[in-house]
Amino acid sequence: MDFLGDGLRRAVQLFLSTDAEVYGIVFLTLKVALVATVIACGLGLPAGFLLAGSRFWGRRAALTVVNTALAFPTVVVGLLLYGLLSRRGPLGGLGWLYTWQAIVLGDVVLALPIAAALSAAAVQGVDPRIRRTAETLGAGAWRAAWAVAREARFALAAVITAAFGHVVAEIGSAMIVGGNVRGQTRTLTTAVALYTSQGDFGFALALGVILLALALLVNIALQVLQGRGHA
Amino acid sequence: MLELRAVRHRYQTNGRLVLDLDAFAVPPGALIGIVGHNGSGKSTLLRLLALLERPMEGEVRFEGKPVTPREARALRRRVTLVEQRPVLFRGTVRENLGFGLRLRGIRRTEGNRILETAAERLGVQGLLDRARHELSDGEVQRVAVARALAISPDVLLLDEPVSSADRAAAAAMYRVLDEERRARGLAVCLASHQLEDAYRWADDIRAIAEGRLSPVTPENLFRVELPPSPQGTGTAKLARVGAIAIAVATEREGPAILAVPPTDIFVSRQPLASSARNVFSGKVTRLAHARAGTVHVTADVGVELVAVVTEDAVRELGLVPGSPVTFAFKASAVRVF
Repeated sequence: MDFLGDGLRRAVQLFLSTDAEVYGIVFLTLKVALVATVIACGLGLPAGFLLAGSRFWGRRAALTVVNTALAFPTVVVGLLLYGLLSRRGPLGGLGWLYTWQAIVLGDVVLALPIAAALSAAAVQGVDPRIRRTAETLGAGAWRAAWAVAREARFALAAVITAAFGHVVAEIGSAMIVGGNVRGQTRTLTTAVALYTSQGDFGFALALGVILLALALLVNIALQVLQGRGHA
Repeated sequence: MLELRAVRHRYQTNGRLVLDLDAFAVPPGALIGIVGHNGSGKSTLLRLLALLERPMEGEVRFEGKPVTPREARALRRRVTLVEQRPVLFRGTVRENLGFGLRLRGIRRTEGNRILETAAERLGVQGLLDRARHELSDGEVQRVAVARALAISPDVLLLDEPVSSADRAAAAAMYRVLDEERRARGLAVCLASHQLEDAYRWADDIRAIAEGRLSPVTPENLFRVELPPSPQGTGTAKLARVGAIAIAVATEREGPAILAVPPTDIFVSRQPLASSARNVFSGKVTRLAHARAGTVHVTADVGVELVAVVTEDAVRELGLVPGSPVTFAFKASAVRVF
């Protein structure tokens, strides 16, 4: 228990201190997670609407692929992206290996199936009469989708939360394509792994507590954004 | 104005034919009542007319021209459907009534005036600031009709719009629909199983059974299993309907729909000697005064049958609910399809 108490104390001290390195890690973690969540949800939510609401050839196969991708191991994604982004890889010209953009790319690949699959489930849960009613009142495809999204807003907010939670806690891909470079690509998760391996459990735990606090704050922000409205 | 031609439509899940219509037209200003049993194809017909689904075979025409999928989207602004169990969007009744108006780019002030007028006509002005979970089923239906009327459609399709409403609310709704028709030529197509209501307000009653238009008026429709024809005899066959057996002159066998035209039923207080093969006695359950001095006499004679007689006949026979009554009709009067 001393170990846990010590960790909490150090977390508070770290947060109150003006340690540039810690703030840099926190800032980078937030930046990476937010950018990856916005991109993954920006692509994944419309994909989920399409998978749930449209009839097209290969729809079931696409749903199966997306659902399978939910279980994609993060280190495998990291490995594949490493192959693509390394100097000899097809995307080597971008020069993204060991940059924060590479971590974002890995996170997007991992969070996209979450956003698509869960939003498809959320949309499928909405009464089909909502879309029909919107259409029969003159709504085009976008306005009808918006009416459906309004009905599913709590579930869709949960999708965004889940996507953010996944990317903020991701480590496998971030470690491989980010490289855990001090001051450049060191995120909270890779930092926790590093300090744990170095035996500095207290510091690692302190960073872990900050990570949890970040996730909590983002969740609260999302809940405030979605409002308290009733049915 | 709106028309279906040579339409065949099947359930996507099991391929069962749900609609089979050679023609179904909704002229401007029409008040059409579509009647039929549950599962007869009424709701599918309305969804096709509402351009929400495309028929698997045949075409939908609007103002004489076939409707393409692209045009269907634009035309849905002129044709509106209120479903059997309508849903309201998240938000207040006011937001719901304003939904279609916002889509049409109508400014807030003008929109508020329109929606408040629609709400007042349907008697839901007191509900404007309520959320959907604060409304009863009947109130939801009235709000849904007001929401549809607020956008001033050319064709209004209603699927059992008064199933949860009380008599006064239903009468108010019919009155508003009639006013709209007279004022601006609104065409209304209403599916209902409440025949009395349909007769009271609709100009044109169309019966639908097993996805097909029935050649006769819609009461007294029965789904039966016709037995094999007796060999070499000229006798009518008996089809069991509830507690009675109806004599039918037909060669058909197997599943079929029987229709007994209400105008072909003779009504008397006691059984009379006649050529009628079908004579059933029971009690009057309802008397409904329809248009043109006629009365729909509903009697329980083992099943519920409806006969149409004149008001004079009702008076002379002294028919009131509970009166003993005999219905008689010929086997050859029974239509089979």
